[in-house]
Amino acid sequence: MRLYRQALSTIFLILLPAISMAEFPSAPATQDSFLGLVEPFCPKTVNPAWRKSHQIENISIAPSPVCDPDNPYDIAAFVKGTNNVSMATMMQTQLSPDTLIKSNDIDGDGDPDEIHIRLEVIELNGFSPDHKDPITTYNIAPGIQPGFWAFAPKSRGMSNESFASTKANPLLRLPSPSIRVEQGDKIIVTLENSHYFPHSIHFHGVDHPFQKENGEGNDGVPQTSNKLTMPGKLVSYELTPRQTGTMVYHCHVQAHTHILMGLIGMFIVEENKANNWVQTFNIGAGFVRHSSVAVKSKYSQEYDLQYQDIDRELHNLIQAGNDSRLLAKSYNREYNITERTPDYFILNGRSFPYTLRESLIVIKPEEKVKLRVFNAGDQMLSLHTHGFKPTATHYDGVELKPEARIQRDVFTLGPAQRVDMELLAHNDGLNNMGEGIWTFHDHNELGVTTDGIYPGGHISSVVFESFLGPNGMPKLQGIDVSPFFTKEFYQKKYPIWNLSDENRLYGEVPQELSQEQQVSSSSKMDATQIAILVLQLVVLLATVILFRNYTKKENA
Amino acid sequence: MRNKKPVKTISTGSLVALGLSISSLYSGINMAEETAFESEEIKKHQHQPESKSMEGMVCGANMRMDMKGMVMYENKDNLPKDCAEISEDVTIEVKAGVKYAKQYPGTVFGFDQHQWQVKPCSRVTVEFTNDDDIRHQWMIHGLPKYLYPEGMFHIEVNGAGKKTGTFIVPSSHFTYLVHCDIAQHVEKGMKAQLKVGNGRGDLPSIPGISAPKFPDLFKK
Repeated sequence: MRLYRQALSTIFLILLPAISMAEFPSAPATQDSFLGLVEPFCPKTVNPAWRKSHQIENISIAPSPVCDPDNPYDIAAFVKGTNNVSMATMMQTQLSPDTLIKSNDIDGDGDPDEIHIRLEVIELNGFSPDHKDPITTYNIAPGIQPGFWAFAPKSRGMSNESFASTKANPLLRLPSPSIRVEQGDKIIVTLENSHYFPHSIHFHGVDHPFQKENGEGNDGVPQTSNKLTMPGKLVSYELTPRQTGTMVYHCHVQAHTHILMGLIGMFIVEENKANNWVQTFNIGAGFVRHSSVAVKSKYSQEYDLQYQDIDRELHNLIQAGNDSRLLAKSYNREYNITERTPDYFILNGRSFPYTLRESLIVIKPEEKVKLRVFNAGDQMLSLHTHGFKPTATHYDGVELKPEARIQRDVFTLGPAQRVDMELLAHNDGLNNMGEGIWTFHDHNELGVTTDGIYPGGHISSVVFESFLGPNGMPKLQGIDVSPFFTKEFYQKKYPIWNLSDENRLYGEVPQELSQEQQVSSSSKMDATQIAILVLQLVVLLATVILFRNYTKKENA
Repeated sequence: MRNKKPVKTISTGSLVALGLSISSLYSGINMAEETAFESEEIKKHQHQPESKSMEGMVCGANMRMDMKGMVMYENKDNLPKDCAEISEDVTIEVKAGVKYAKQYPGTVFGFDQHQWQVKPCSRVTVEFTNDDDIRHQWMIHGLPKYLYPEGMFHIEVNGAGKKTGTFIVPSSHFTYLVHCDIAQHVEKGMKAQLKVGNGRGDLPSIPGISAPKFPDLFKK
């Protein structure tokens, strides 16, 4: 036994020099990293005049100081109806004359009570047999164009911005627009199926009868109530909602893919009040520039916040080909939702940093703001707001009794759930911790990334007016944000801390060289190392032979 | 994910964009599409018809619109510079709808014809019938911009119905793109061509006429 131990320690001692004798590997020099084309925080194509308050068609439209505000002429048409505005206003929009017909003050309280809404189904970032790249484009972040379907108010003219541009016109975007109606109104929603797949609308949580008066289905569910509405066809749904609240509308055809492709939006029923002209559409959700009478009486501002998550595998199927039969096969029979993993996370149709252009909540001290938060994705959402503890007033559109209201700093919503929250800028250390740029984000950490890169996802911020700079840019005092405005950053080509990294602690290492380096340190050896190893093996062999001879002798 | 090359400066951007604006849909050349690099010239030509008319259907000299649809940039009288007179009056009847896609498997939307041929300097009247319940368009691009804003003439019919509009073509032999610019309608079959004189070849991916530049792959 002792001999064995001796032999083993001898072998170990012989092998030891091979480990300690490897040379210090010289690490490759840090490569220079260059940012790609940095997009401006606020693009030149936005119309700064739209930010101020407007009076159009006798409708007051609140100021919206963010970089890229909603078109106030659209809002005037959404409040009055496309049938009640001048041709001059219509020409400032791209709406169809019959997009929104408002008429008939049934209860005589000064506002129209018969509302006919027309929606189309549009495709963004779809395939073109003529172009290498997607067409009718819509970027959720620099260089990121997943395919989408969305409901859109019926428009007129081109879907592309112009003949020279493949960009989608501004009405065509994500999310499907928030729709607002007044409690007790007679609502007709007509779906004009302008898309190449069948679709429907289901009014989720909105008071609606299963059948229309004529007996036709009204629930939008192919299995139980309605035939498929095929391309080129239309279907009308009728409802007179008795209950108020933040509800939902979505397509119910192949719901497991159609909802996630973007055919889902908020449907909000406002309290019936006198002279209550509600803003029927809120394009891209977000700030409501003309709130209802009831909301205005309780809150200084109102925002719709719709959260979605995107599995690239699903959304890119429309970019893979053109044949309707192959597309139907890939969506209905090949895509397997049980293998779903989300890659992108959007708030009101955009990921960070584009959220900063549209989805800032701009606030003054002592303001009380209403947030309608909707999880339209497939992941849990754990929404956390820095600097505030908001109070939940409604869940899934149903008002909480005062004693049941909850004040906290993380609100968790499962898919399709809504919470109405009150954000109170009262600096008492509970409701608010003072002025600043207070970020709000999902604390399910997937939600703050874009294809695994941080910061991305649906991060946005509550910004106090004192912290808002020109062009709606917050007066940021952290790191330089330019990298986030490049495609390269989200293509993982730029070291995350590079601009703060004076000592080049975390810079780029040449990719091929670093692989070589890895190989040489693990398996490749130089001549002396090999010589030593051979020598060691010889010695080892000799020891074993000697040892065997010795034991044989002993046995003999 | 997509490697578009944004045009780097505004000045070259404008030149390139203008130069390519007509050819982009013909050849599939990608236009710079980042908002920050849109050229002024393109913006000028964008869809902003002047209108002060508050009542009725006519909104500006170049547009008629009502609940049933619209006709934009109609031109019955002004001759292109290169035409001494109108060579002939031609009427083409076009029908649009999902049912016309049936003869071209894999498409969803279609016209009943995807090609027309007229003489140089013809005055063309298009009687456009929509057999679907949704919007469709008969939109032609590449016409002279001094007569047609954005170089286009456009009929849109809002659901089942018919609209008629007229325009005059120039003298040069050319193949003009005709399509419906509602998202995915051109891609899924609503693409056609108008040949003036002998035309100048065929455009790609026209049902029944030409192959797509980026075809689908089928298993054998």
